[in-house]
Amino acid sequence: MEQDKKKYLIFVLCSVIFFLLGARLAYLQLFSSEELSKESDKNSVKTITITPPRGLMYDRNGKVLVDNKPSYTVTITPSMFDTSKLQEISSLLEIHPDTLIKELKSYKGTNRFNPAKVKRDVSFKVVSYLAENKDHLSGVDYQIDAIRFYPNNFRGSHAFGYASEISSKQLEKQIGDYYKQGDIVGSSGLEANYENYLRGVKGYKFITVDVKGREIGGLNDGMNDIPPVNGSDLILGIDIKLQEFAEKLFDGKKGAVIAIEPETGEVLCFVSKPDFDLSLFSGKTDPKVFSALLNDPEKPLFNRVIQTKYPPGSTWKMMMSLAALDAGLITTTSTIACPGSFTYGNRSFEDHGAYGNINVMRAIEVSANVFYYKLGLMLGIDNYYKYGKMLGFGQKTGIDLPNETSGLLPSRQYLDKRYGENKWTQGFLVSLGIGQGELGVSPVQMAAYTAAIAMNGLYCQPHLVSKIRNTADNTEEIVKYEQRRIDLPQKYYDAVKKGMYLVVNGNGTAKSIMSSDIELCGKTGTAQNSSGKNHSWFVGFAPYENPKIAICVLGENEGWGASFAAPVAGALMLKYLSGDNYNTDGEIKIVENARD
Amino acid sequence: MNKNIFEGFDFTILIVTACIVTSGLFAIFSATFTSSADYFSRQLTFALAGISVMIFISYIPPRIIAKGSYFLYVISLVLLVLVLLFGKKISGSKSWFSIGGFGIQPSEFAKIATILAIANFLSMTEEGYRNVNRVMIFFKTCLFIFIPVTLIMLQPDMGTSLVFLSMLLPILFWAGLSPYVLFIIISPVIVAAGAFLGISYFIGAICLVAVLLFMLKKNIVITIIVLIINFIIGFSADNLYQKLAPYQQNRIKAVFDPTTDPLGSGYNVIQSKVAIGSGGFWGKGFLEGTQTQLKFIPEQWTDFIFCMIGEEFGFIGSLLILLLYMILIFRLVNNANITRNRFLSISCIGISSIVLFHLLINIGMTIGIMPVIGIPLPLMSYGISSLMSFLVMMGIGMSTYRYRNQY
Repeated sequence: MEQDKKKYLIFVLCSVIFFLLGARLAYLQLFSSEELSKESDKNSVKTITITPPRGLMYDRNGKVLVDNKPSYTVTITPSMFDTSKLQEISSLLEIHPDTLIKELKSYKGTNRFNPAKVKRDVSFKVVSYLAENKDHLSGVDYQIDAIRFYPNNFRGSHAFGYASEISSKQLEKQIGDYYKQGDIVGSSGLEANYENYLRGVKGYKFITVDVKGREIGGLNDGMNDIPPVNGSDLILGIDIKLQEFAEKLFDGKKGAVIAIEPETGEVLCFVSKPDFDLSLFSGKTDPKVFSALLNDPEKPLFNRVIQTKYPPGSTWKMMMSLAALDAGLITTTSTIACPGSFTYGNRSFEDHGAYGNINVMRAIEVSANVFYYKLGLMLGIDNYYKYGKMLGFGQKTGIDLPNETSGLLPSRQYLDKRYGENKWTQGFLVSLGIGQGELGVSPVQMAAYTAAIAMNGLYCQPHLVSKIRNTADNTEEIVKYEQRRIDLPQKYYDAVKKGMYLVVNGNGTAKSIMSSDIELCGKTGTAQNSSGKNHSWFVGFAPYENPKIAICVLGENEGWGASFAAPVAGALMLKYLSGDNYNTDGEIKIVENARD
Repeated sequence: MNKNIFEGFDFTILIVTACIVTSGLFAIFSATFTSSADYFSRQLTFALAGISVMIFISYIPPRIIAKGSYFLYVISLVLLVLVLLFGKKISGSKSWFSIGGFGIQPSEFAKIATILAIANFLSMTEEGYRNVNRVMIFFKTCLFIFIPVTLIMLQPDMGTSLVFLSMLLPILFWAGLSPYVLFIIISPVIVAAGAFLGISYFIGAICLVAVLLFMLKKNIVITIIVLIINFIIGFSADNLYQKLAPYQQNRIKAVFDPTTDPLGSGYNVIQSKVAIGSGGFWGKGFLEGTQTQLKFIPEQWTDFIFCMIGEEFGFIGSLLILLLYMILIFRLVNNANITRNRFLSISCIGISSIVLFHLLINIGMTIGIMPVIGIPLPLMSYGISSLMSFLVMMGIGMSTYRYRNQY
């Protein structure tokens, strides 16, 4: 065969092949196009993420503290959205068109095919408008989400915390890729601390939709769907009535209250004031609202229960007494002379009064400063630090909330570092002896310390959550917390507790709160404040025998411990122990002429 | 040496190749722009490098290539053995070397080396060309292909093995094998295909072969022997089919009726047909293909790249691509015809048959007329080894034109 002929044979063969391919393409693209387009249109599979409702929070008696309620969320699928409808949507949702565009543009890549949540908690009117106009508003849809709902008339802002839409920073920082844009994430308080329990596990549903976003049906009869796992519920030690009363008493005040069940460490009430409305955060938070809270000079976002560190004032005297007793500086019966003042070097330290020779119980009762000035000096910095640490200061209590402070417990090392070796004098210890000066404690530390004294040395890690309930099988997991024994002789505790008993029931600084029904014990304290009115402290427990509640109240700029904190703490302890019999209508009387 | 460096430069191949590669880049971009891996930039980098290599190769005189061809062939065989021993297993076959993050496929390199070695074998002698009609020469020529095919079958990579086999007949034909022998080779394939389709097709095929054989009027004994062999093959075709791996059986079945296995091997075929068909006449527009963008077709930037063209650029786009390939193949065959250099001429035929085979299988598969055999669309599919090897082949095609007057 000639080569030219071969060439033409090959050309013919090639042409046949190309003709076949071309003909088949024509068949598919010209003659079956309509049918296949329909196939393609209905073929789009949309992945619907099912976010399970977050777990709820219950109080110790099974009453709901933090609830969910359904809300309508408007979503836009960027890839399907017709931008000529922007104006219509933006006026419907009351979002500025630029904001909306910016929002939609932030969904990149394959995210463009998933619905973006553009507005939460819209009214039913908006939803019905969307439903009626579905055909011309392609890509716009709504879904039902659960948002947080707080059914009680108190806030608990700092304990419960808020869960809000994940920020771009949080998205970047997350480990793994569980969270997607638009997800809700616990960002403070228990919502943040128990995020992994509360959130549950997202599920996925695959549905086929047509080009206009209309659902055609489930993919593969839902066989590939992944059901969500609901969030677990938290069962807290909080007592609803006590919490409500405590918040009421602190209305308009600044400060903190924390009450603990001494035997377990369960937190009975947790108040930090001023606070904020958690429902502002359920869903998308208005940045203006958030920055207003952030910049408020009263610092409502600051959790005063676990983040403040003020000097404890005289509430520190139980710690000093235990330290001095255990270090052998005093005995339960030995006395120290307490004239009206104490001179160290060329400086004079004042007292509220002259008490003569008194023992440790009397010293606590009357809050004798000179007694503790002297003990401070005798104890020395190393023992001071050692016993402070033993009683839980200078370290986190481990309460189940984020961002707890360790406070400040000065050690030799600390003072050396701060002032230079030998540059600081024993004179520091005089002030430190009465809980003033360079010492910082948080209310939660004080409450745990008081509870430990009440329990004769059993120190329980304070905690809000006692049980976690798996909502799928209704099983409850008891959360384990640490307990440790502060190993000191019983008679020391007895002496200190007797002192605290006398503070209220003897001729002590808080005798104004004495109750005929229940033996309250406690100690007042006043933190000196160079930049304003002093801070009012009170720590206490009750009943004297077999204590059921330990409490710490801090009133910022409320002056003497005895005038504000003591009556508040007294009312709360009585309320808790007498239940509904206690009349909570009365106002707390500020005690005049108080000393410490 | 010519003064003008563009003297004898094959602009047709260069331009058509560049157009095809560019279309491929568009399609890869569209298929992967939402994905995190940057397939597009990688392909672009190697496309630019490859086109430079192609132009460079078009300047290499044929005698140099011919001289090195046996050496390249041996090297490629060694690599094929090495890849069996040390290669990386990707989707069931050991055909890759992983070098510095890139997958290198020695079988792509072996394609070129094999073409060149055969072309050299059939052209280089003192007393004229080797005659393929002589039994020993015929078998030796076949051996050049069967060695790499065996090694590639061991990987196992069915698709690439078929690619090697596809060039055998065109080369033999071009080198002067008698049509009678050629037909004897082809006839069992026709019979086997008939047997697979059913008993009536089988009988029809046998009759057709018989008539044609008698028409060619050769030795009656040989004709009868060939017919008997065909019978046996026809009857054992089904048996052979049973010996295929189940996934290969499914793929063949799925060609005839994709709905038999809509979520398995038929899935791709259904989805790609829907994608291409829904493109219509004008297509859905660049980056607008819902099928491709929604990732209905897995790994569509490799073997199913044609879906992108079909869906986003429609019938017009698909036809344009077919036209480009047609120009390319016709140009290559034409070059093979006009050159006086037998080595380049045979090489060119080998190259065009490989391109055509790839095209037929790949596009045929996406439009549902060929089984799903994993071979790339020449110059378009993502894949560095494949892209580079086709560009080198085009370089040889260009040199065929340049050195058309050199013996």
